[in-house]
Amino acid sequence: MPKLTLRRSARTMVALTAGTIALALTGCGTSAPAGGDGGSATEGTVEWWGWVPEKGVAPAYIEAFNEEYPDIKVNYKLLTIDGYQAAIRPALASSAGPDVFDVASGAMFEQFKDFGVDLGPAAEEELGADWQSQVSPIGVSSFTDDNDELKALSVGLGFAGPVWINQDIFDEYGLTAPTDFTEWKEVCAVLEKNGVGCFIQGAQQVAFNQDTLQAIADTINPGLFTKATRGEAKWTDPDLVEALTAWKSMFDDGIMQEGALGQQQYPDANNGFLSGKYAMVQMGYWYSQYTKADTMTAAIGAAGVAEAVPFTTVPIPFPSAVDGGTPGALFGSPDYGLAVNAKSKVRNAATTFALWLSSATAGQQIVADSLADVPSLNGVSPQLSGLVDESVQLPALQDLITQAGTVTEDRLLSNADLATAIGVAGTTVAAGDATPAEAAKTLQAAAEKAGVTF
Amino acid sequence: MAMTDEARDTRRRPSPPTRAGGGAVPGRRLHYSGYLWILPAMVLSVGLLYYCIIYTGYISTLDWNGSSPVQTSVGLQNYLDILQDPIFWGAILHTVIYFVGTFVVQTTLGLVFAVLLHSRVQLKSVYKVIIFVPVVLAPAVMAPVFRQAFSADGQFNGLLELVGLGFLRHAWLAESETALPTVLAITIWGSTGLTFILYFAAMGQIDPDVLDAARLDGAGNIRTLVSIILPEVQGTTVALLILTAIGSLKLFDVPFLVTAGGPNYSTEFLGTYIYRSSIQEGHVGYAAALSVMLLILAVSIAILLSRRNRQNSEAI
Amino acid sequence: MFEAHTRRGRLLLQLVLTLLAIPFLLPLVWMVQGSLAGQGWKNYTDILALPELPLFFRNSVIIAVLTIAVVYLCTMLAAYGFAKLHIRGREVFFWLLLACLTLPEVVLITPLFTTTLQLGFYNTYWAVVLPLAALQVPFAVLLARTFVAGIPDELMEAARMDGASTARTFWSVILPLTRPIGAAIIVLTLISAWNAYLLPLVFLLDSSSQTITILPQFFVGQFSNDQTKVLAGAAIAAIPEIVAYLCLQRLFERGLAAGAIK
Repeated sequence: MPKLTLRRSARTMVALTAGTIALALTGCGTSAPAGGDGGSATEGTVEWWGWVPEKGVAPAYIEAFNEEYPDIKVNYKLLTIDGYQAAIRPALASSAGPDVFDVASGAMFEQFKDFGVDLGPAAEEELGADWQSQVSPIGVSSFTDDNDELKALSVGLGFAGPVWINQDIFDEYGLTAPTDFTEWKEVCAVLEKNGVGCFIQGAQQVAFNQDTLQAIADTINPGLFTKATRGEAKWTDPDLVEALTAWKSMFDDGIMQEGALGQQQYPDANNGFLSGKYAMVQMGYWYSQYTKADTMTAAIGAAGVAEAVPFTTVPIPFPSAVDGGTPGALFGSPDYGLAVNAKSKVRNAATTFALWLSSATAGQQIVADSLADVPSLNGVSPQLSGLVDESVQLPALQDLITQAGTVTEDRLLSNADLATAIGVAGTTVAAGDATPAEAAKTLQAAAEKAGVTF
Repeated sequence: MAMTDEARDTRRRPSPPTRAGGGAVPGRRLHYSGYLWILPAMVLSVGLLYYCIIYTGYISTLDWNGSSPVQTSVGLQNYLDILQDPIFWGAILHTVIYFVGTFVVQTTLGLVFAVLLHSRVQLKSVYKVIIFVPVVLAPAVMAPVFRQAFSADGQFNGLLELVGLGFLRHAWLAESETALPTVLAITIWGSTGLTFILYFAAMGQIDPDVLDAARLDGAGNIRTLVSIILPEVQGTTVALLILTAIGSLKLFDVPFLVTAGGPNYSTEFLGTYIYRSSIQEGHVGYAAALSVMLLILAVSIAILLSRRNRQNSEAI
Repeated sequence: MFEAHTRRGRLLLQLVLTLLAIPFLLPLVWMVQGSLAGQGWKNYTDILALPELPLFFRNSVIIAVLTIAVVYLCTMLAAYGFAKLHIRGREVFFWLLLACLTLPEVVLITPLFTTTLQLGFYNTYWAVVLPLAALQVPFAVLLARTFVAGIPDELMEAARMDGASTARTFWSVILPLTRPIGAAIIVLTLISAWNAYLLPLVFLLDSSSQTITILPQFFVGQFSNDQTKVLAGAAIAAIPEIVAYLCLQRLFERGLAAGAIK
């Protein structure tokens, strides 16, 4: 009978679905997270999420930390930057978020500052009342919110502005580093004749275009770019239009590699430079790690070169876009900071860890030695040994580090819409879809719409 | 035991009358109730995902960055903004181009591969693996390979020179005009294997007698393909049409990873735009409204496609 | 399907097939070349020597197997229900189900996070398996439904005449006859589960419960990118899927043709 059949299948179905239904119905009323008193400052298990440091580096940090604080276990969960941005928001909104989490300065900090505790008192306790004078000022200002609360501790600073050159290629063709665009184009012409690429940029990634644009603008009128980001100057300023014109000429006059708009800085441009196909690349302080012979050898192998031999790479000031300009601006922001989740049950242990990595000499020394970030704590300097060619690289690196200490211009912007608009200006000009003047106008309008008050 | 009782009961009755109603699917519907059969799927998918849909619907009425305690209700403003957003309309245009392009090419290729590999050819497994592997490889891994291959000094241009088409040489992903077709080509490479697998499976259902009969009537290969095989796999074609439509609307991986939606938004799709505005720019409310638009578009297109198909099949 | 009686005809078919397959092969060649660049085979041996590899592999297998089981079960039952049984408002249910396919993953992550936490699944395999299955089922039902509909009612009535219940018919008529689409669904579910990246990353907290898709992370850092090993890792991670596909291959061809002849 149909009815009977129905009942039989009903029983089967009910059995099959019972579990699933139960699952759907159980979950109501997980209680709100209780922060408690934050627990002990010297023991506990701390979950740390981030996109930096890298796989191989984090264990070294944690190991060194445990020498001082053996009872705090730190579990590090590394995500890619895209995965991190997707994962961290729901995690922090829930009760299952990490105790310590990475945060970049600028737009990301704006998004996540509300989840962190005020770390100012802890920093004061660790370093004393004059703690602010012992650490990098941009590290503090970048992570201080509107209520004057320090919501993250800067671990290291990232600087951009220089161009890195392959000294071996330059020597081979008897070239000297260009100081302005005219010389730059001549260098490129010589290299092209010899079948070597001149300069490579992953112009598809607008964040790196912003670095280049800012570097160009600073050679024309130092500091103007930063003023414009703050609303103290207009994007339609003739000097900024000139910067966009110079940017365009990089594409048109054979500085930039062909098809730059279709490539990314990582891995494409990075590999192009490391494999010796291109003689120059625009990269920041983090490229210092490739002055070390062992790091460089591994990186060249990773770029696909068999039997890698390290070459000498040196940072040069960004060439001036106009005659009589000022070459070599540097601008920076904290690369990342550590925030302590306000909902964490082990806030105090988490704070201990964040403080150690950001403000203790032992922690900062490891950060410095990685040569990826400039340490936030004053008085800590990297060990510069094992360089490929010490005679050339050591003075250049020391100059770069000294200069980094004086930087006042931001690199990462807190207004994400403004960063997007700058990116649009860069690509529309590069692609020839807009003249520099048009693009500057569009950018000015977009900046106003993004909430920058001029 | 119960089995035999039932069997006896059933045998005494004439075969159950079939209902004429519905008729969506070729073939008669038996009148046993099917609710319980679809229950597990409904509980799983609808149960788990409808909260997401409702949540997204709610968020779409907010001006919110996704984490700040400040959520401003803006009603339908996000939707009004979308309708005036040139990037949105650009994305829709790219979606339409993408949908037509990929559907035509990958269904044709999938169908031809399936037919050929059901025929008597050598080294079938080798070909099957070649077509299948692209489906398996994550776009994230392949993106740099393709960027390299389609760059100015990449392998693709090298290939063009080799066959004497050097004048077509291009930095394929760097120009707005060529970036979209290149993205299309890459996705077709990655998903033809899927259409192939489905057509290959569907052809397993074709009654060999039907084919033999056609052969006896003197039908050639092309004729058989068009008038026997194609109608027999029509259900799969419609399913693929719906899936490609939905897939085009939410396309994300390849444009995001290979071109980052650029240059100048020339390869921006709804999926990449939603990602960019929610994750990278923190316009979570706006992105939610875009998602709801996507959902509405996808469901209406799917309903339209299958309605039309139903009318067609009823006409036959 | 295509017949070629002459040698020339057979060669022609083979030639057409080869020409069409070349564009699919080339990127694979470039990929393998890339994976062998730099340190050559050492890229592969380095990955195989990763101590975490067996663990990741095991986790991926667990997630894939559970997802396939859930998807196969739900899909086949639902496809039968939708195609052959009486459901009032059938199309409404069907579109409700299909609507689940349309939201992009990024949008789902936040609400799914809340859901998995509330259901107590967070940091268990189910937190990955159930959303994966929930996203795959609508897709699979769409495909399987037309397939089941293509099975002649006469076969099912014959089974019923023989005294089979609806459930029995399902078991002894539907399941064997839908083997090709079943195999296709299994393969496609395997691909989506095996390649799932964001869900395991977000919903599995412990680094010991991560899946094989996390491999590239060992070689891509903020300021470094070992593309050679990423490619080698992808090649290694793809092998189980290819093997599974080849193993299931026979099932794709045995449908009605084999099943109807008892």
